[in-house]
Amino acid sequence: MNAERPVVVDTTVSVLYWLMLGAAVWLLLRGHNAPGGGFVAALVAVAATVAHALVAGTAAARARLPLGPLSLSALGLALAAGSGLPALVSGQPFLTHWWGELAVGAAALKMSTVMLFDLGVALCVWGALGGFCLRLLGSLR
Amino acid sequence: MVHTALPVASQAAWLRWAWLLPLALLPAVAALPADPASWSVSWVAPLGIHLGFAADGLARLFLLLVCVVGAAVLAYTPGYLHGHVRLGQLMGLLIAFTLAMIGAILADDLLLLLLFWEATSVLSFLLVGFERDSPDSRDSARQALLVTGAGGLALLAGFVLILLAAPGLRLSDLAQLDPAVLAQPRFQAGVALVLAGAMTKSAQFPFHFWLPGAMAAPTPVSAYLHSATMVNLGVYVMARFDEAMGAVAWWEGTLLSIGTLTALWGAMQAPRERDLKRILAWSTVSALGMLTVLIGLPNELGALAFVAFLLAHALYKAPLFFVAGNIDHATGTRLIDRLSGMRHAMPVTALVALLAGLSMAGLPTTVGFVAKDSMKAAKEVSDVLWVVEGASLLVSTVGVAIASVAALRIFFGAPAHPADCAPHEGGWRLTLPPLVLAGIGITLGMFPALAEPLLIDAARLISPTLTRADASLATEWLLRIESFAIVWAVGAFVYAGWNRLYRILERLRFLDRAGPAAAYGAALRGLKHVAGVLARALQARRLSRYLVATVAATVLLCMPWAFGLDFAPPVAIGVDAAGVLVGCATAILGAALAVRARDTLGRLLGAGAVGVGSAIVFLFRGAPDLALTQLAVETVFVVVAAVALRCYRQRQGAGAGPVDAWRAGVALAFGLLLGAVLLALSGRPFDAAMADYFLAQSVPHAHGRNVVNVIIVDFRALDTLGEIAVVMLAALAMWPLARRLPLKRPRQ
Repeated sequence: MNAERPVVVDTTVSVLYWLMLGAAVWLLLRGHNAPGGGFVAALVAVAATVAHALVAGTAAARARLPLGPLSLSALGLALAAGSGLPALVSGQPFLTHWWGELAVGAAALKMSTVMLFDLGVALCVWGALGGFCLRLLGSLR
Repeated sequence: MVHTALPVASQAAWLRWAWLLPLALLPAVAALPADPASWSVSWVAPLGIHLGFAADGLARLFLLLVCVVGAAVLAYTPGYLHGHVRLGQLMGLLIAFTLAMIGAILADDLLLLLLFWEATSVLSFLLVGFERDSPDSRDSARQALLVTGAGGLALLAGFVLILLAAPGLRLSDLAQLDPAVLAQPRFQAGVALVLAGAMTKSAQFPFHFWLPGAMAAPTPVSAYLHSATMVNLGVYVMARFDEAMGAVAWWEGTLLSIGTLTALWGAMQAPRERDLKRILAWSTVSALGMLTVLIGLPNELGALAFVAFLLAHALYKAPLFFVAGNIDHATGTRLIDRLSGMRHAMPVTALVALLAGLSMAGLPTTVGFVAKDSMKAAKEVSDVLWVVEGASLLVSTVGVAIASVAALRIFFGAPAHPADCAPHEGGWRLTLPPLVLAGIGITLGMFPALAEPLLIDAARLISPTLTRADASLATEWLLRIESFAIVWAVGAFVYAGWNRLYRILERLRFLDRAGPAAAYGAALRGLKHVAGVLARALQARRLSRYLVATVAATVLLCMPWAFGLDFAPPVAIGVDAAGVLVGCATAILGAALAVRARDTLGRLLGAGAVGVGSAIVFLFRGAPDLALTQLAVETVFVVVAAVALRCYRQRQGAGAGPVDAWRAGVALAFGLLLGAVLLALSGRPFDAAMADYFLAQSVPHAHGRNVVNVIIVDFRALDTLGEIAVVMLAALAMWPLARRLPLKRPRQ
C-alpha cells in the first residue's frame, strides 16, 4: 500500500501476526477453565488479520484466512449448531454437550462437543468481524 | 399456480361460466327465513369476537340484489373485456367482491361486519384501479380507498364505542335494545361514528365525490359496485340502526338533512357532465341521498318506500350502466354530444335503455313507478318539511331528464357517432344481462304483488309494526297521477333545455374550487407538504444530529423517573483500590482527551482510553474475562475506526471550533442520568440466586472452572448460537453497503 512504510513495522507485524494467532488458539483452548474462550480468541485473531491488512493490503490478509470471510463465518455457525446435534442422538435437548475422556499416555484428556461449539463461535466471529474490517478497509480508495 | 402461463382461450373456460355461481346461490337466498335467524361460533374468544351470521328479510332483499346483479355482471364482463389480458384477474376480483358483499350482509357480529366492509373497500380500490396504467384511474382508486377507508376507521371506532356501552351487542340485538343502553352518550357517539362511516360508503355529502371518480373503473364494475350493491352497504347499515335509533332526536334530523343535501347536490351536478357514465354516477349519488331520506322518515311507509326504491334503483341503474358500457364498447366514446340515433345500429341496447329509462322516470307499469308511488305515500303520511318535499320533487324531475338523456337523446334522432367506428351490438353477453335486469324491473312493475312479500318482509325489519294490510303496493296509480304528471312534464322541460341548463350550471364552476373534492385535493397536497417539512426538519442527514436528538429525547423521557430513584451510598472501595483507581484515572483522562482533542484521531484515541480504563477496572474487580474481551474489542475498534475515519471526508469546522454549549449540555445531562441510574442500581440488594446456581453447577455439570465461559458455551449455548448468527447476519448486511461508502483515501 504505502511504499514509504518503515521496514520495522513490516517485520514486526509479520512476526506479530503468527504470535497473535497463536495467542488466539491458546485463549480458545484454555477458555473452559481460565479466562479466554471462543469470542476473545476470535477478537485477537481479527486484530491479527487487521494488522496484516494494514501492512500488506486487504487482499493479502484475506488470502491468509482459511476460507473466504463469509464462508468462514458460515462454517463456524454450522460447527456451533452441529455440536448440538449429538445430544439429539442420545435423546437429550439440543446443545446438551457430550463429554468423554481421551487417554494420552498417563494423562486423561477431557474431550467434549463444547470444544466444537467454542471453535464454531471463534470461526464465526473471526469470519464476520474480520470480513467486516477487511471490507471496510478495502473500500477505502 | 401457473395461471399466467395459460393461453387466453383456456383461461376463458371458467370465466364463461362464472355467472352461474351467483345464480346457484339464488335458491338458497330465496329460502332464507324472513324472521331473524342467527348462527354463531366463537372465533377470537378473548376479544369476544364471534363468527356470527344472521339472516332476515332485509338481508334477503340485499342478497337477492347482489346475486342477480352479480350474475348479470359476471355474464357481461367477459363479453365487454373480450380478450383483455387481465380479464381473469378482473373476474376473480368480482367474485371475491360478491363473496365479501354476501359476508357483509349476513354478518351479525359488529367486527365481522367491519371485516367484510373493509374487504369491499379494498376490492373496490383494486377494481377502480384496474386500468393500472392510467394515472387518472390510479388517482380515482386512491381517492375511493382513502375516503371509504377513513369511513372504515370511523366505523371501527364507532363499533368499539358501541361494544363498550353494550358488551357483546350483535346487529340482530338492535331491534330489542335496552333504552338504558340507548341513552348512554357513549353509545350515541358510537352510532354517530358508524353513521359517518356509512355515509362515506354510500357517497353522502360531503363524502360523495369519490363516486363519480370511481367511474374510472370498467363499466361492469361501476354497474355492480357503484350503483347496485357496495354503495348500498352504507345505506344498509343505516337501516339496521334505524329501528333502535328512531327514538333519538338527532338521528332522523341528520338523515333527512344529509340525505336531502346529497340528493340535491347530485341532481345539480349531473347536468354539468357530458359523459353518460358520470351523469349516471351523479344520479346514483342523488338516489343514495333519497334512500337516506327515506330511512329518516319516521313512519312505516317510509321503510316500505325505502326497500321499494332500493330494488327499483338497482333494477334500472345497473342496466343503464350496461347501456353506457355497450355504447362505449361500440363507439369508443360516452360523450352525449357525439352520439345520437344509435337505435338503428344497436336496437337491443336501445330497448334496454328505453325500459330502464321508463323505470327511472317512474312511468306506470315499471318498478320505478311502484317505488315512486310508495315514496309519495310515505311523504303524505308523515309531516315532512317543505324543504325535503321540494327537494325530492326537484330530484325527481332531474331524474326524469337524466332518464330521457340516456334513453332518448342517444338513441333517437339523426344517427351520429364518431366517424372512425361502425357501431354494432356486441353479442348476447352485452345485451342479454341488461335486458333481463330491465325486464325484471318491468315485470315487477306490472305485477307488484310478486315483489310485495319480499319488500314487506324487508321493511318489517326497519319498522316492525308494518303489516300487509296498511302497505299494499297495488297500483292505484290514478290516485296520485296529478303530482306525477307534474314531475314528468317538468322533467321533459328540463330534458328539452338540457344543453341550456349545462351552460347555466357551468357558471357554478367556482363550486369546484371550494367543494369537498377540492378540500380532499388540498388535504392530500397539505399532507405531502407537512410530511416534507417534517422530514426536512427531522432528517438532518447528519449522524451527529440524530445522536444528539436521540440522547436528548432519552434524557427528557427518563428524567422524571430518575428523580424518583433512591440512592444508596456508593459501594466502599476495597483493598484492591489501587488498580481500580488507575482504571478510573485512565478512563477520566481518556474522556478529557476525547472532549478536548482537535482532530478525529485524538478523539478516537481518547474514547479508546476510556475503554481500556474500564477494562482495568474489570480486571481488578474480579472479571478477567470481561477485561480481556473489552480490551480486544477496544483495540480492534480503535484501529479500524482510525483507518476509516482518517479517510472520511472531514467536514469543515467539525470539532475545530469552541465546544457547542447545547451539545455539551446534552452530553452532561446524559452522563449525569447514567451515573445516577448506576448509583441507584448498585445500591439495590443483589440477588445472587443465579450466580450461586452457576457457581455450584459449573464443575459437576459442565466440567469447567471458568463459569463465564461455561455459561456462554454450555448453560446458555442456544443464546450464544443466536448471537453469533446475528454477528454473521450483520456482516452479511454490511457486505453490499461497504462498497458504496463515501470514503476517500487522503494523500499520504
